[in-house]
Amino acid sequence: MLNPAHIINQLFEMQSRINEAGMTANFERNFKRLYSLFEEEGYIIQDLTGEAYTESRTDCEAGISGKIGSRMTITRTLKPVIYQKKDGAVQLLQKAVVIAENK
Amino acid sequence: MKPVNFGIDLGTTNSLIAKYEASKVTVFKNPVGQKETLASVVAYRPDRVLVGDKAREYLVKDPVNVFGSFKRKMGTDEKYYVVNIDDNVTPVQLSSLVLKELKNFIHTGETPEACVITIPASFDTMQSNATLKAGQEAGFKDIFLLQEPIAASLAFFNETAGEENKDGYWLVYDFGGGTFDAALVQSTDQELKVVDHEGNNFLGGVDFDFAIIDMIVVPEIIRQTGITDFEQEFRVKYGKYEKLFYEVMYYAEEAKKELSATGSAYIEFSTELDGKKYDFSIPVTKEKAGEIFLPIINETIKLLNNVLRNNGLTPKDIRQVILVGGSTFLPQVKEQLAEQTGISLNSSVDPTTAIAVGAAWYAANKQYEPSIEETAAEHTEQAIETANDILSNVDFSPPDLKVEVSYNKSSRDKEEVLLIFCEGTYEDKYYRLVRSDGGFDSGFVQLKAKKTEFLPLIPSVTNHFTLAIFDKNYDELKSLAKEIHISQGKYAIDGQPLPHDISIEVDDVENKTTRLEAIFERNSLLPQKRTLYREISKTIKKGSKDSIIISILEGDKNSRPLSNLTIGCIEIAGKDLKTDLVKGSDIEIQLHITDSRVLNTTVFLVMTQQEFKNVFSISEKKINLERLKEQYTSLEHELTNTVKEFQYNQREIWEIKANALLEELHTVKERLFRLKKNDKSDEKYIIAEKIMRLSQEADKLGGNERISLMIEDYYYRKDQVKETINTADFEKEELKRQFIKIEQSEASFIRSKNVSFIQTKLEQLYDLHWKALGNTTSFLITKFVEFRDLGPEYYRDYNGAKSLIKLGNAALEKENYPEFRRHVYSLSGLLHRADFQMNSDFKGTGIG
Ligand SMILES: Nc1ncnc2c1ncn2[C@@H]1O[C@H](COP(=O)(O)OP(=O)(O)OP(=O)(O)O)[C@@H](O)[C@H]1O
Ligand SMILES: [Mg+2]
Repeated sequence: MLNPAHIINQLFEMQSRINEAGMTANFERNFKRLYSLFEEEGYIIQDLTGEAYTESRTDCEAGISGKIGSRMTITRTLKPVIYQKKDGAVQLLQKAVVIAENK
Repeated sequence: MKPVNFGIDLGTTNSLIAKYEASKVTVFKNPVGQKETLASVVAYRPDRVLVGDKAREYLVKDPVNVFGSFKRKMGTDEKYYVVNIDDNVTPVQLSSLVLKELKNFIHTGETPEACVITIPASFDTMQSNATLKAGQEAGFKDIFLLQEPIAASLAFFNETAGEENKDGYWLVYDFGGGTFDAALVQSTDQELKVVDHEGNNFLGGVDFDFAIIDMIVVPEIIRQTGITDFEQEFRVKYGKYEKLFYEVMYYAEEAKKELSATGSAYIEFSTELDGKKYDFSIPVTKEKAGEIFLPIINETIKLLNNVLRNNGLTPKDIRQVILVGGSTFLPQVKEQLAEQTGISLNSSVDPTTAIAVGAAWYAANKQYEPSIEETAAEHTEQAIETANDILSNVDFSPPDLKVEVSYNKSSRDKEEVLLIFCEGTYEDKYYRLVRSDGGFDSGFVQLKAKKTEFLPLIPSVTNHFTLAIFDKNYDELKSLAKEIHISQGKYAIDGQPLPHDISIEVDDVENKTTRLEAIFERNSLLPQKRTLYREISKTIKKGSKDSIIISILEGDKNSRPLSNLTIGCIEIAGKDLKTDLVKGSDIEIQLHITDSRVLNTTVFLVMTQQEFKNVFSISEKKINLERLKEQYTSLEHELTNTVKEFQYNQREIWEIKANALLEELHTVKERLFRLKKNDKSDEKYIIAEKIMRLSQEADKLGGNERISLMIEDYYYRKDQVKETINTADFEKEELKRQFIKIEQSEASFIRSKNVSFIQTKLEQLYDLHWKALGNTTSFLITKFVEFRDLGPEYYRDYNGAKSLIKLGNAALEKENYPEFRRHVYSLSGLLHRADFQMNSDFKGTGIG
């Protein structure tokens, strides 16, 4: 069977690159739709960019750029977090891969 | 006797645990993140200890507190000095923490007393004994050591059990993330043994990643950008390309794995370099990869050949090369090995788990004598009725420690605050909070009488957390564990829920400010109706300019009124009254909010028998200019204090931000105080909007960290105040009453996560502290002595002061303390002091 995490990662990467190319508006609806399809299947997908990075966050693997500090922010998400809902329980399916910086 | 069954691969970079059961081996997964491997890294962060993958993230940046690769130091007397705990830790202690963490992977509820731990073939007696000691410290009573190449062979032999006879020489080729080992294993009828081995502790998969970076990615970046010093700058710690370096590290490893899967890969990314934007799409072909990987692979083959040569063997004498370690996934590795050695390769076992799996197979055939406790624990599995009695016998949790928690069971926020209260011997014990899905793990945090922890929540589901308590050796005290459930964003969808609290602003005369009282709480379903009964807090003469103001606000009920949006404002002035309205007379306020959020209010003044009706639709704003000015002043005062607080705590960044807010606030000052009551322009709305926004931002300054600090500060001050009140000589009962009042609201304001709310409480405590001191004779005497020596320039009326000093001296002589206190008070009133003039002509809303 197809591994949903692989598809989500591709989707996420596509979106980031379209974003960087400044063409988000053209595809916004498609992405929304695609993500909602996964959500209907019980996947919770999170882009962590902009969130605070703490040492208790085991939902991501971080490369720490610059000096470490007590208030770090996730400045880039290379891979999103994926949770899966199953029989009423939630499980972490994939940790995010992020860059954290002291900002 | 019982079979051991548990096998552990205690690796240099990663560790694993597996169990044999019913002729099958299972590798356990980390409950945090569901990975089979655990990074062998321990981090002593400022307030918590982390073991595993999260700890590894800090390895490069905090090397004085974070330790990895300590396996290489086992058996030496080397100690690591940990700056954050100002103490030394040994490789044995660090290894035992990793072993304990692995025990947490066992989801079957067992606590094994015995296990097999693997060691490199190169380990000498000292190193082996150190490993045994680590195992004992981790709570294993019986430990069996097994050499890694044997473990790998066992995994392979058992995988292909039943086939032909395995006698002869085998080579185990273990190529991991950071180390390489080649071992010659001899199998005879009865036994397996390591005949010889060679290795390199600094050769591994990461070298391939660096080869891709250095030989493919960097040259391409230089070619496209022309930045000549890029290569020198790129790998510099804290350098200007560091962020890109981490990204490229990730891409390079992904590309390497992609190569193993499909034969070719692309590294694609966009980035800004020296102010210019670039898009890179760099191919990593099979040919190129083969070329740049070759020197690394050759190094391993050289070591392998050494083993053969040293033992007078040729490739023909070897039955197979057994491949272990993640780097053997690479097709280039397999191709070169086959081509250069001509020995047949065997990759039938999972290269990342092989050693742990082999250890478990070995454990299945080892026996140990279970202790009485374990036997007892086993009985409980069989005889559930008596389980509790026996469990309380085997669980050594101290009866003198009590742990309580407090939290909101449902939330619409991204995180919730958890309060942990301890009574008894909580010193040198730890707690750890883990979210069941694996996305949050607090690590080991020292217990205190009161602790706060912010729990991040996954939206729209119930989040389960476990709070576990550990003793000083990081052994769990199981009977103290607690389950915490918080459902995020859930509510019955019978009607439309209110998105914010709706409150009324009332006077807090004691503190010369106003506060909010919730009428309808957030998430209540519309429509809603409620009648409030209150008293008038100041007398209003018929026909006078004075008025009462009923402000209805929307927002967080725990924040200061200013941070809320005013959605309705009713002003009843002296000229509207039929008779005087006397302080203490009753007022009834009826509020009704409809489905479509139209707010109807009816105010009834019992004394004058007048009724005032109003309808507000929530799109109109009502602003009272006088209140706005008062609010401006109080925010200005608060922000000024905040700046001082940050200065005092040396929080420079927060200070800069607070100052920026203060400056922005000052920009409206003149405009606001120039405005006339009947001004018809939009000006006051614009200013009100700005003040509200600044007030909300002020609440967010410093985020959770500041809230934690404030909560700590609160508890600290609270103990102080309590002590002072206990030693007070006057008005003890009244002081106690005020203290209890603050204490009673504790849970609610701490949970509110609202800075200004907590700040208000802190200030109340602070005031109470002064009040208590002012009622303590010894303190009064100290102050009196201080005042006595002050020169005339300190007093507004020096002659008056001199006579008070005389009276004070006399009262002190007679030990008439009540009288003495009066004189000290009067004396302090004569001092020039500008700092307590704030809010003296407080008007407020008129509703108490
Ligand atoms: N599919 C793959 N193709 C190529 N390399 C891979 C693949 N999967 C994992 N690796 C590499 O394997 C390495 C990790 O292997 P492993 O888990 O055996 O190492 P380890 O046991 O942690 O390290 P060590 O034995 O050096 O202490 C990493 O460098 C990783 O990039
Ligand atoms: Mg290994």
